[in-house]
Amino acid sequence: MATLRELQVHLGTLATILWNYGASFPDPTLDRYADTGNLGFVFTAELPGSQQPRAATVRMAELWQRDGRDAYRRREYAYDFVEHPLARRRAFHGHDPDHFAREFRVLVHEHCEEALGRPTCQHYYGLPVDAHEAIRRFASVWGQPGPLRCADLQCMSS
Amino acid sequence: MQTKLFLTPAEVATELAVSPATVLRLIHRGDLPAILVSERIYRIPSAGFELYKAGKLRVAAPAPVRDVEQQPDLRGDERLPVAPAPARTSR
Repeated sequence: MATLRELQVHLGTLATILWNYGASFPDPTLDRYADTGNLGFVFTAELPGSQQPRAATVRMAELWQRDGRDAYRRREYAYDFVEHPLARRRAFHGHDPDHFAREFRVLVHEHCEEALGRPTCQHYYGLPVDAHEAIRRFASVWGQPGPLRCADLQCMSS
Repeated sequence: MQTKLFLTPAEVATELAVSPATVLRLIHRGDLPAILVSERIYRIPSAGFELYKAGKLRVAAPAPVRDVEQQPDLRGDERLPVAPAPARTSR
């Protein structure tokens, strides 16, 4: 659970980590949705690299459901990392939890593409991650040669 | 000439004229941006190091709040998977 102020700090901290890696993107905002009363954010950061104009992109999105007067619970997330020079993708997703719970008895899934756009498996089983863990795991493969090790993951649907 | 994407702690130590241990202390204190590529192996993004040298690293501040009409769909154009039907067994 988090308050609006805590989520403002959370988002500001995430953005600062990426900015200090040299990423470029507009200042993200914590959005308050009039139709649901929920909070969330979506932003895409371009990481630096030698192959301009696009090296790698990180997309961070979270949706926090209102659960009290000033209390919010993270309901959905989508953290994506696409590395264009190496043409590969890694992602941690927690959207549509009701659908995944009904179909697969899990709330979250992952994506892993050793060859961008040609996934061996469309959705992999995964464990919930927070945004800091996602950034840490994206950064650990950023610009590093070698496979993403998608084959180590368990396929949910092909 | 292409710029290296990352620097090792030893390279940063040479450029700053400090010991590698001092560079690791800067990383552990959060003063120098770094990524952990594997257990105990750090790399410093060159762009982040340039910001550090220029004194232009950002300090975290609360993000502003904006009112938006409609909540976005985080799924985007991703198709939701459906679990395969269980195989029928005959007695």
